[in-house]
Amino acid sequence: MLKTESPERPDALTWAFLALGVLLLPVGLYLALAAPPDVNQGYLVRIMYLHVPGAWLGYLAFFVTFLYSLLYLFRQNPRYDRLARASAEIGLVFMGLSLVTGMLWARPTWGVYWTWEPRLTTTAILFAVYVGYFLLRGAIEDPELRAKAAAAVGVLGFINVPISYMSVKWWRSLHQTQSIDLTTGKVHMAPEMLQVLLFHLVVFTLLYLGLVRFRGFLAALEDRREEA
Amino acid sequence: MRRVWLLAFRDLRLEMRDRFGLLSVSAFLGIMLFVMALALGPEEGPLRRAAPGVLWVALAFMSTLLSTRAFALEVEDGTLEDLLLAPGGKEWIYLGKLLFQMLLLLPMGVLALLVVGGLFYLPLERGFALFLTLGLGMLGYASVATFYAGLLSRLRGREVLLPLLLFSLVVPVVLSAVRATVGLLEGLPGDEVAGWWRLLLVFDVVYLTTSTLLFPLVMEG
Repeated sequence: MLKTESPERPDALTWAFLALGVLLLPVGLYLALAAPPDVNQGYLVRIMYLHVPGAWLGYLAFFVTFLYSLLYLFRQNPRYDRLARASAEIGLVFMGLSLVTGMLWARPTWGVYWTWEPRLTTTAILFAVYVGYFLLRGAIEDPELRAKAAAAVGVLGFINVPISYMSVKWWRSLHQTQSIDLTTGKVHMAPEMLQVLLFHLVVFTLLYLGLVRFRGFLAALEDRREEA
Repeated sequence: MRRVWLLAFRDLRLEMRDRFGLLSVSAFLGIMLFVMALALGPEEGPLRRAAPGVLWVALAFMSTLLSTRAFALEVEDGTLEDLLLAPGGKEWIYLGKLLFQMLLLLPMGVLALLVVGGLFYLPLERGFALFLTLGLGMLGYASVATFYAGLLSRLRGREVLLPLLLFSLVVPVVLSAVRATVGLLEGLPGDEVAGWWRLLLVFDVVYLTTSTLLFPLVMEG
């Protein structure tokens, strides 16, 4: 994403993404709080506006990590490694947000914070895989070996993403099935709620793009420092 | 293909000559199962219910111990570089090591199965079906374990890192293997367990192909 090898400061696009994301986030929160309550869940449904985009961006981020890890393995360009790492980091944050909001929602709905059902379990595993990704990075001194090993984890770990996404279908579990089913293209949601959800999705995507670009820039600075 | 067999049999012969590794792993397996049985027993019901889970946890620990041995000798003797210098692709190194791992793991797995059968009242009548589950599960586990063992072989903290990385990644394999074993234990008909076998097979194919493709990329340089 960052074109120059060693930029002095983040470029305009990065700032634009970040600024738009930060500015639109309160708007999104206002819309979420103004959205109509659900027939079954009442006001609790509002957690979904954070929960679903968080999970999606987590998946997306890990997919980006997967792509850049593959690219790194073939091209050995340190830039790809930096972006893979940046995306994994932001992905962990979004995944974490999704897990926490999910738990807050589960307590009043299911009566417990955590239960060992497939969606929750596979998501927790996914989270653990990428925590392992950073443990591995921290353990290796040699930058080239570190990048290679991390890339291998980034590629292999991604296998868990489709498993996690499909788990609600495969195991017919307690967790809601997808509101917007990507495999069939069906939408099970009232239009006014869908609009708010999509708005949040856009805001989160903007934030994600800005944060990844910014993190990639920081990583470039760190690398330069390590070399010097 | 011939190289794969040669490498696997050379490693197997070295392992047999040494014996220390295999002995310590089987001792570990025995003690672990024994302690688990003590902790969960002595009633038959709870033991029987815990049997599939205990079996697969034991197998997972055991294969982690064994997988570090796949590349440990090569690094100690400095022969890994020689292997990598051999002309042609590098996939055969991975496949040879994997074959070696499977040749060690399957007999050890059968041993574990027998011990669990004895200590946890796991019925062994459907021996073939159990063995099939064992083979599929172990293959999925070993394909990732061997890959990581190769990747981390030149690292100092590999004994700690390996399980950390491995366990989170192979949980789907362990889960479906446990489910299949539970199904067999409860006496479900074959076609109901077959779903889990298919899932295991999918994992095996996916992990095996990705690892085989990634291995040369990671080991070079």
